[in-house]
Order: sequence, then C-alpha cells, then structure tokens
Amino acid sequence: MMISPLLAAADTAGVGVAPAWVLAIPFLPMLAVVLTTLCAISKNKTKLPAWITVGCLAGSFVVTMLAFMTLSGETNTVTAWRWFDLSWGDGVGQQMVANLGFYIDNLSLLWMMFVTGLATLIAIYASEYMEHDVGKGYTRFFFAFALFVFSMLCLVMGDNLLLLYLGWEGVGLCSYLLIGYFYKKPEAVAAAKKAFIVNRIGDLGLAIGVMLTFVHFGTLEYAELFNSAQLQGYIAAVQEGRAGDVPLMAQLIAVFLMIGAFGKSAQFPLYVWLPDAMEGPTPVSALIHAATMVTAGLYLIARMLPVFLVSEWALPVVAWVGTITALLAATIGMAQFDIKRIMAYSTVSQLGYMFAGLAFLTSTGGVFHVVTHAFFKALLFLCCGAVMHGFAGQLDLRKLSGLWHMKGWRIVSVGMLIGCLNLAGVPFTAGYFSKDMILAEAFVTPGYGYSLLGWVLLLTAGMTAYYTFRVFFRVFTGPVQFEAGDEHHGSDDHGQDGHAHEDHAQGHFHPHAPGIRINAVLATLSVLAVLAAGLYFVSPDKHGWVGDMLEESTAHNVYTADHSAAAMFVIDGDTHGAHGHDDHGHADDHAAHGAHGGSILGMDPHKVMYYVSAVFGLTGILIAAWAHGPKGLVSGFIGGRVEAGKCRMDGVAAKLGPIPRWAENKWYVDEFYHFILVRPLRVCSHIFHMIDKLLVDGLVNLFGYLPRLLGRGAQPGQSGVLHGYALSMAGGVGVILFIVVMVTL
Amino acid sequence: MAEKLAYLWPEVTLFLATCAVMVIGLSPSAAVRRLCPLISGLSLAAAGIFAIGTTPTLADGAEGLMPGMLPYAKAIIAAVGILIVMLLAGTVDRGEEEELAAGVRKFDPLRLTSGEFYAFFLFSLTGLMLTASADSLIWLFLALELTSLPTYVMVTISTARSRAKEAGVKYFFLGALGAAIFLYGFALIYGGTGSVHLGEIHHQITLQMAGDGLNGITLAGLLISILGIGFKIAAVPMHYYTADVYQGAATPVTAMLAFVPKTAGFLALILLCSAIGWHYGETGHALPDTIRLLLWVMAVLTMTLGNVLAILQTSMKRMLAYSSIAHSGYMLVGIIAGPGATFTESGISAVLFYLLTYGVMSTGAFAVIASLERTHAERTQTGELAYDEADSIEAIRGLARAKPLLGWSMVICALSMLGFPLTVGFFGKLPLFTSGIAAGELPLVIVLGINSAIAAFYYLRLVSYPLFDEAGDEAGGFITTPMRTRPAVAAIGAVGVLAMTVFAGPLMGLAHDAVQPKLHDSDAPIADEAMPTEEAEPVAAK
Amino acid sequence: MTTLAATELADYFPLIVIIMMAVTFSVANVALTLLLGPKRDGKVKSIAYESGMNPIGTARKRFNVRFYLIAMVFLVFDVEVIFLYPWAVTFPNVDRLAPGASEWLIRILFFLFTTVVAYLYGYRKGVFKFD
Repeated sequence: MMISPLLAAADTAGVGVAPAWVLAIPFLPMLAVVLTTLCAISKNKTKLPAWITVGCLAGSFVVTMLAFMTLSGETNTVTAWRWFDLSWGDGVGQQMVANLGFYIDNLSLLWMMFVTGLATLIAIYASEYMEHDVGKGYTRFFFAFALFVFSMLCLVMGDNLLLLYLGWEGVGLCSYLLIGYFYKKPEAVAAAKKAFIVNRIGDLGLAIGVMLTFVHFGTLEYAELFNSAQLQGYIAAVQEGRAGDVPLMAQLIAVFLMIGAFGKSAQFPLYVWLPDAMEGPTPVSALIHAATMVTAGLYLIARMLPVFLVSEWALPVVAWVGTITALLAATIGMAQFDIKRIMAYSTVSQLGYMFAGLAFLTSTGGVFHVVTHAFFKALLFLCCGAVMHGFAGQLDLRKLSGLWHMKGWRIVSVGMLIGCLNLAGVPFTAGYFSKDMILAEAFVTPGYGYSLLGWVLLLTAGMTAYYTFRVFFRVFTGPVQFEAGDEHHGSDDHGQDGHAHEDHAQGHFHPHAPGIRINAVLATLSVLAVLAAGLYFVSPDKHGWVGDMLEESTAHNVYTADHSAAAMFVIDGDTHGAHGHDDHGHADDHAAHGAHGGSILGMDPHKVMYYVSAVFGLTGILIAAWAHGPKGLVSGFIGGRVEAGKCRMDGVAAKLGPIPRWAENKWYVDEFYHFILVRPLRVCSHIFHMIDKLLVDGLVNLFGYLPRLLGRGAQPGQSGVLHGYALSMAGGVGVILFIVVMVTL
Repeated sequence: MAEKLAYLWPEVTLFLATCAVMVIGLSPSAAVRRLCPLISGLSLAAAGIFAIGTTPTLADGAEGLMPGMLPYAKAIIAAVGILIVMLLAGTVDRGEEEELAAGVRKFDPLRLTSGEFYAFFLFSLTGLMLTASADSLIWLFLALELTSLPTYVMVTISTARSRAKEAGVKYFFLGALGAAIFLYGFALIYGGTGSVHLGEIHHQITLQMAGDGLNGITLAGLLISILGIGFKIAAVPMHYYTADVYQGAATPVTAMLAFVPKTAGFLALILLCSAIGWHYGETGHALPDTIRLLLWVMAVLTMTLGNVLAILQTSMKRMLAYSSIAHSGYMLVGIIAGPGATFTESGISAVLFYLLTYGVMSTGAFAVIASLERTHAERTQTGELAYDEADSIEAIRGLARAKPLLGWSMVICALSMLGFPLTVGFFGKLPLFTSGIAAGELPLVIVLGINSAIAAFYYLRLVSYPLFDEAGDEAGGFITTPMRTRPAVAAIGAVGVLAMTVFAGPLMGLAHDAVQPKLHDSDAPIADEAMPTEEAEPVAAK
Repeated sequence: MTTLAATELADYFPLIVIIMMAVTFSVANVALTLLLGPKRDGKVKSIAYESGMNPIGTARKRFNVRFYLIAMVFLVFDVEVIFLYPWAVTFPNVDRLAPGASEWLIRILFFLFTTVVAYLYGYRKGVFKFD
C-alpha cells in the first residue's frame, strides 16, 4: 500500500504565506463595484462604468497571471484581516474563527485565471452589447457584473468554507439581479425568482454541510481541515478498507455539500432554473450561466474532494446524477428551437459530464472539462448573443439561415463553428480531450454501474454532437433567409430604440452586424478555444496541463491516492494485478486501472476512448448534416435543406409520435414540479394564511381589549393619554421596585 | 482641566459647530443657509477624527471608569451621527426654502427654523459624547439632559402635522418625569455614598459590599436611577412614549430618536454599573443581587413586550419603535453579563458593538421609509407644507422591483436587524448570547433566543413585502423623495451593514479594546494603576 | 444594614435651619398679608391671575413670540452675571505665574464667547428689533 501523498503533504508541505499583492485580485473587482456605484449616484450617463469594469477586471486578470507565474505549485494563504473571532474556549470546535483570507493553490489559481480572463473579455463584449441601455440600466449592469466577479473570486479563493459560502450567496444574488435585469419583462422576473428559489434549496444543503463540517472537524479553514489528523485518519481508514470506521456524520457532510453543488451547478433535479435564466442579457448567460458560476458546484467538490472521498455514498450519487442530467438535458436540447436555450441545455448536460468526471475520480478530467468548456461555451453564447443582437432578438433556428454567407458575420460564423466542434468533441479539439478523459475513466473506475454510465455518456456525446451541429447547419449554412425578432416590442434586451434598424411596416429589416469590440472578443475567444486543445499536449503524461496543475493541489493528491481508496467500493474486490499500461507514465494511475481489471479490449482505456468517442461524435455530426445540412453540402445525400424552416428531420420527427413534442416541452418536468411542489405549497400557504388571520386577528383584538379593560379598571376618570402614560410609568417604577426589593431582601 | 480637555476635543468641536450653525442658519442668503447640514456633517467627521485621535491614558482614565470606552463611543456616535445628519438635511426647512425660492414668502428670520434644527441636533450629539466622558453624577445628569432636551424640540418642529406637536408634548412631559426619577436616584446615591464622583462611588460601594451590604439609601438610589435611565433606552416600564413619539415625529427625527437617546442611556448605564462593579453574586462576577434582579426583570419584560407588540403593528414606524424597545431588552442582557476576558464573554463590548450595528441598520431602515413620500405635499391648517413619508407597511410592497435601491436596502437592513446569519446583526447578537452564557444567565439567554425567534415574524415582513410581493395601490401613492441624501443614507446603511459584516472582526476587536483596559480583571495590574485606592481583592457579598 | 448611624445628626443642622427659615418666611408672609392687608374683594380681584392674562377664553390664543424671546435673552445675561461675579471675585487672588493660570482667563473667555454667540443669534433672529 503506497503512502498517500496527502498524508505526506501533511507532514512536509506547510501552508505558505502569499504576498499581499494577491489581495488585489478580489479587491480590484470590488473597486469596480464602488466606482460604478459612484457613477450611479452621480447619474453618469456615459459608458464610463463599462470601462471602469473592464479596467479593473483586466487588472485583476494581470495580477492573477502574476500570481500564477510566481505561486503555482505551492499552497499559500494570504489573510486580509480576521473576519470574526467568536471563540468561547480553546478546545476543538470552540473556536469559531474565520479570516478574510485567500487560499492560493493550483486548483484555485485555475479557476481564478479563467474567471478573471473570461470576465474581462465578456465585459468588453458587454460594453458594446449593452450600448442601447447607456444611461438606463448600463451602470446597474456593470455594477452587478463587477460584484459577481468579486463574489466568484471570494468563492474560489476563500481560505475557509464560510467565505466560500459568502461568495456562494453573493454569486446567487448577482445571478438573480442579472437574470431579472429586464425587470419590466414578466418572464425575466419569473426566471429570476425561479433561479433564486431553486438555488435556496441547494444553499440550504451547503449551509448544513458547512455547519456539520464545523461541528465535526472543529474548523472551517481548508489548510487546517485537510491537514487535520481526523480527516487524515479517515482517509487512511478508507485506504485500508475500513470504510466502516468513518463516522456517519463525516459521511453526511459530503452528501449535504453535494446538494449545494447540485443547486448551484444545475444538476438533476435542481437544473430547472438554468434554462430559464437565459432571460438575462447574453453576456451574463455566457459568463455566469455557462462559464463560471455554474462551475462553483464542481469547484466545491474538487476543493473538498478529501471529504467526499471518505463518504461511501456521495461520489456514486454524484456520478449517477451527473450522468442522468447529461442525458436528460441532451434529449431536451435536441428538441428545442431557441438557440440560446439549446446552449443552456447543453451547459446543463456538460456540467453533468463534469460531475460524473469528478465522481469517476478523475478530477483532472472533470476540471479540464470545466476549463475547456468555459472557453468554448462562452464563445458559443457570445456568438448566439451576436446573432440575437443583430437580428433584433431572433433566436428561433427555424427563422434564421445562411449567416455564413452574409456580410459582416464571418467572424461570428467561424467562432460558432469552433465552439460547435469543441462541444461536439471532434478529434483534436479541446473538448475532445477533456471529454475523453471522463469517458475513459467511466469504464475503468469501479463503482455501482459505472460502465453503464459510461455507455450512457457516450450516447450523450453523440446526441451532443447532433444538436450542436443542428444549430450550426441551420443557422449558419444554407440559403440566406431570416426573420427579425420582435425586440422593438421590448420583449428582449436590446433594440427598444430601433437599434437594429428594422422597419416592419415596409418589411425591410437590416441585420446589424456586430461591431469591432464584439468581433474582437469573439476572435480572441475562438483562438483561445483552439489553443485550449494544446493544453493537453503540454504535459501528456499527466493528462495535460490541468493534470499537471492539479497534481499539486488537494484535488489531485487524493486522486493519486484514490484507486486504492476506490477499491473499497468494488463489491467483489477482485484484483488482477497491474497491467502496466504505462504509455503516459503515470504508473500509480494505471496500476489502479489494473486493480479492477478495467481495460477495454485489452488496451489502455484512454486510447480506446479516443477512437470510440470520435466515432460517436462524428456520427452525431453526420446525422445533423443529413437532416439539417444545406443543399449541396457534400452531395445530394447529405444536406438538402433549401429553406430556413424545413428540414429532413421533420419527417423523422413525425414518425416518432409525441416523443419530440414531449422533449420540446422538457419532458414536462416544470409542470411536474408545479404539480407536486408548487400546488401543495400554495394550498398549505392558504391554510396557514387562514390560521394566521384567525390567530393574529384574535391577538390584535385581545391586545386591543386588554389595555382598555385594565385602563378602565385602574384609572376611572382618566381622560388624557399623557396622564395615563405618566401614571403607568410611575406605577411601573413603583411595582418593579417593590417586587425587586421584596424578592431580594 | 487640561487633561480633561485632552479628551473633550470632540465635544468642543461639535459645540463650536453648533454656534456657527445657529448663527449662519439665519443668514438671508439661501446659499449660506444651505451650508448648515454640510457644516454639521463636517464637524461630526472632525469630532470623529479627534475621538479616534484621543487615546486617554490611564491617568486621564481615572476620571471616568471606562477610559477605553471614550474613543470608541465617540467615534461610533460621530459615524452614525453623520448618517443621521444626512437624513435630517432638509427635513424642516424644505418647505420654507421652497417657498422662499419661489417668492411666495419673504425672508423672516423669526419664523425660519433651518439653523436651529441642525444646532439642536449637534447639541444633542454634544450631550451624547459628554455622556460617554462623564466622571461624576452631575456631569452625567447634565449630559443626559443636554442629549434629550433638544430632541423634544426637534420632534415638535419636525413636521407641520399636529401629531408631531402631540408627540413632542408627550415626549417632553414624560421625559421630564424620567429625568426627575433618575435625578432623584442620583441624589440618593450621593446621600448614600457621600460623593458624586463615579470613582469615589465605586470605592464606597466596594467598601459597603465588603461590610454588610449596600446601605438602604445607596441601594434605593441605584435602583431608581437605573429605572429612570430606562426612559432613555425605552425599557419597561418607561417605554410608554416610544410608539407614539416615533410615529408622530418625521421619520428622519425618528431615526435619530432610535439611536441618540438609546446610546446615551446605555452609556450611562454602563458607567453606573461599572461604578457598582461586577464583582458580586454567587459567581463573583455579577452585579449585586438586587440590581441584577432589577435589570433581569427589565430585560425580560422589555424584549418580550417590544417584540409581541411589534408583531401587531401595521405601521412601519410603530413596528420599528417596538422593535427598538426589544433591542434595548437584548442589550440589557449584555449589561447584566458585564465585562469579560474575551470578546465573546464580555457583555459590555457586546453592547458597545451592538450599539454601532443597531445604529447603522436602524438608520438605514428608517432612511428607506423617509425616502418614500406621498406624491403630493399637503398644506396643514396653519398653511405650512407637510411632506408625508410612508408609514403603512403596504407602502413597501414590491419595492425591490419598483425602486431596487430602496427595496434592497430595506431587505438588507431588516435581515440584519433580525440577526440573520452572516449579517452584522448576527455578529452583534451572538456575543450577547455568549456573554450571557458565560455569566451563567442561562434562563435569560433562553428568553433572548425565544425573542429573537419572535422578532423574525415581523422583520421577515419587511423582507418579504419588498422582495416577493407585487406593488399594490397603496405603494403606488409614493415616490422617491427629491432629497437625494435620504436614499443615499438608505444605501449607505445597507452597504454599511455589508461592510461591517466583512469587517466584523476588526470592529469587534475595537469594541473589545474599548472595555479591556480597565475592566479586564479587577486584580489585573492595569486596574490597580487606574484605581490605586481600590482594594485589590473585591469581596463577594455573603 | 444602614450605615446612617455613621453620620451624625448634627451634620444636618444647617439644613434644618434652612428648612425652618423657608417655612417661617412663607408662613410669615401669608400671615402678614392676612393680618395687615386691606380686604377689598371684587370680580377682577377673584380671578386666578389678577394682574396676568385672562384665564377664561380660548386656550389657543396667540402670543407675540417676542414676549418669550426677550425673557430668554434676559436669561442669557442673567446667567452670565451669575457666573461672572464669582469669577471676578476670585480672579485677583489667582497666582498669575503659577502653571495653568492662563486657563482661568481662557475659561471665562470661552464662556463669554458662548454669550456672544447667544447674543448674535438673538440679533439675527430679530429680537432687538422693536417695531
């Protein structure tokens, strides 16, 4: 039995102190919050708030890169100040102390880099996208935007669970504010409320998890928690196969934290808020609801992986829920017509992959997918946003066609193509490498039905490829046809001022091609999404650059220790010994593969998966091309769509009966929730209201009646209120003095 | 004299500003008159800076019993005072100034009240700061009255409505009764101990307790003074005026009433109780039994009555008035618990910290109400313009959507007043609990817990109405006031709550340091230096 | 439990003298009026404030506010004089070379300053305008 690196880390690698300039990373966005507030107070009607935000976020990004260059590979904390200290003793569990401190290790650095980087780019994009709102909601938008980045950085960088919780609530609040940005639009308000309420359920889980952590481990600080003898003891126990020795409480912590993660990261059954959240402005969807905030749940699990590992149930549940979510969301995504909604469901689906990845004990795969997904999904959303911006809010893929051939839309189209290729997992894209890592691990990690999950995920990968390219083929290829949206009715976030130059009365509509800033951001993101694939080649023996990064953090330390730990989950416990597939040079990893005899067809699972998943992905694309491709794409067989609104899939769908309609209606999950949750609650609230009315009214009457009765009895002839008060006061003094003196003397 | 001056600079600053404001407030030029609130605010800021700058050494500290308390108390008074002065700006002179500007009325210094209003406010805050620095009963009495007298007038002139006059008269008469009661108590203390100096009183009480207990006159004096000071903090049985006066006054003045007299009362109570000393009772760290029992009864009655009555209110101002009674009850727990070695054990630092948090969050909540005014100003019988602020809770329905700034400020402040976890109100209330437990007052802490739960009923209305409800007809009748400082105060209050949540640690540290130097432990060397005459080992009663 | 025994009753002698003087003075005055005063009764004579305001009629009667203002300004100067006298009497005895002696002057100047402010305020308010 090898020594767990985590155990070793506890002895040797202390937690260092990061230099104070690291504090600039979260506080620069805070500065932006303050400055935009000042703009709001001074009723600034210019674009100043946008430039303030962009400047501060860019500064934050630069500092993050500096931190990456100087601090990566170490674990450091930096404390701004002691947040509060409510100790009531010196013992364990009596020191309720939290610092406003930040924990800089490779895991948090990874998140910090893509959060600040993407936030900067998207802020630039938004500065153009939100132009129509200058002087109205512009400042409010950037205020919430900067506040979001601050909260997200608190969440990611906090060196204790309380700060994470604060950031967690903060991002939830900003998400609520930004989804409901167009507060005059009823759907936006409803969506904001829905997001808020659904998230509350998850947050409750997180809150309980955090409390239990404190109760059980007596600390909330990561550094102390991970190095605590208690947790190390549990991990050792699990490694030695004594999983039963871990107390129930410690196992429950992971379960509650998991519920929190499911809420924030939109996993089944709490995923329903995310698609509705698309009512917010598109840059918000790109940043918050695709790239960053929704990965908070993954960060939580990756960060707390040592705690998750000692729980028998948490990770298997995560695996199942992640897979179910991935499949369910993909099926819904296939039947939607709103391109932004398709992207939303694909986000839910991809998040499912990442959760499954973490649960399959490949934190590298999960986190790698987080990073690559952040880039290409942000790119996809921003492209959708550009389309929406240009076509007055039109998002229906049946009403758009041939954008590739239109003037000024080439960058958007290329960006979209790159995003789609990544999402579909076409070989040699970043999405391909990260997804494969998860898929391969599904087949080799022992667990309850994990190979079944692997097949489901593979199938889902095919479906993903199909719906992704369905969007691309329909909107960007084929004949140039389009219908403008109804944005001038104020149904969406821009163009109320006739920004898109439509003139419906005469049937003329001129699409509004994106400007320099949007194009620049799209181009940058496209390049980054392409380059992201290179991350894999940086350090292939450790599963790419992300694996390299994670090796230094708690998420990975456990990963290398995991396979022996995971052995406890194997029901039969049968071991074949190491096969030694050592092509990547991570011996312990593959020794573990051998331990459960999980190679596929006698080959290294990762290698096999490269081929298998490529086949699934390309098949999906082919089907999409057959059904939705434009006439003359390859030959008469592939493609053949000549109109925006009609395709070969219509015939297939007709044969499938009601299933496509059910999928389009999201399998009626919302209606189901409404039926089993909202209705009964409403009935209950009516009952409570009645009780409330009777009880409170009764009380009111009682309280109204009593003083009058007392007054009449005690003070006959008193008419002035003032006299009454004075008498009561003097009397009260007398009575209390009398009682006190009588009792004590 | 000179050493006293060393820590009286904040008061001197405020007093000079008062003089200036009083005179220039009568200037015929509107531009000059408009400087009044600005000067008030700046002088408060200067006073705050002076307060932080004056670190009374122990030699100075021997004058008062809590030398460390001075800078902290004065700094929070200045900080919250700035918020309140922003809120007060324009309250009484708005109608006058508008009519003068429109030429409807001629400039008549005799009828103009702009200057006096700010001057009264500054007078009151001068008194408040003087209360903190009091070292004798006479000083304490004068300071308390200097705090209260101007508020009577401010209530009366705050709006043109006749209910303000009614409130003012009630407040004045009942205030006089309260003052009479504690003045009588002070006189008896003097009779029983032979001194008006708190240090000397402390010495005498220690001697008496070492003998056969407090003598009857001293005891009666202490009990009566505490009950009388109960008027300032609106504690049962001296709470009767609260709801009527809070409702009758214009909301900015109400916000002031919620902070200024309460702070004065608690500072006075802290001084008085530290003159008695927490060295008695069964644990040896409590007040003498009789006084403890009195405070105990007051605390329980005050918080329960305040909370129960607050539930029934539909008027926000009355609700907040009763809740302010309840908050006084909470803080009395800290007074009973007394100082301790750590922040969580020290009830006094808990009270000092709570005063700051309560000041900010209640001012924020009142500022929201003050920012909502009826769409049309009415004229009263006497022909003055009356701008009515929102009062019914219906007015804030759907506020978070209609006026996000105000709505969210209300939500944040209400959550904090409720003591919602991870707001500063929670951090404020927690040490009250822990210090109570540390002092062995478990039943009291349980009552406190139950009351915090009751309080959730009505505070959650202030959260859910703006956040989850649709605006009704009633809410439509209100607009955001054109006076820009009021919504700003609401926002600052909310931001302050958040900022104090973030900086809770350092602020708690300050509150703790405010108590630590003298009251750490009676046998600590510091205390011996401060009180050379004091017996090193205080003898527990019985 | 009382420690009153510690204080001699004799200490309170001056107090008793003052109380007795007060009682004697008032009793004597009333008695002298009754004995010496002429007894003329009438309608005006029997009303509550014989040389003040008419107590019957509306209570909301308006007074000229100057009535109070003058009274208050008088009060300011009254208080000023009360403080100035003892100061003026003690000041010649102060050792001018002793440390802190200048404070004697500063204190009274500060006090006079407050009076000046009160005067200025009254002036601005128009108290001294008799029209």
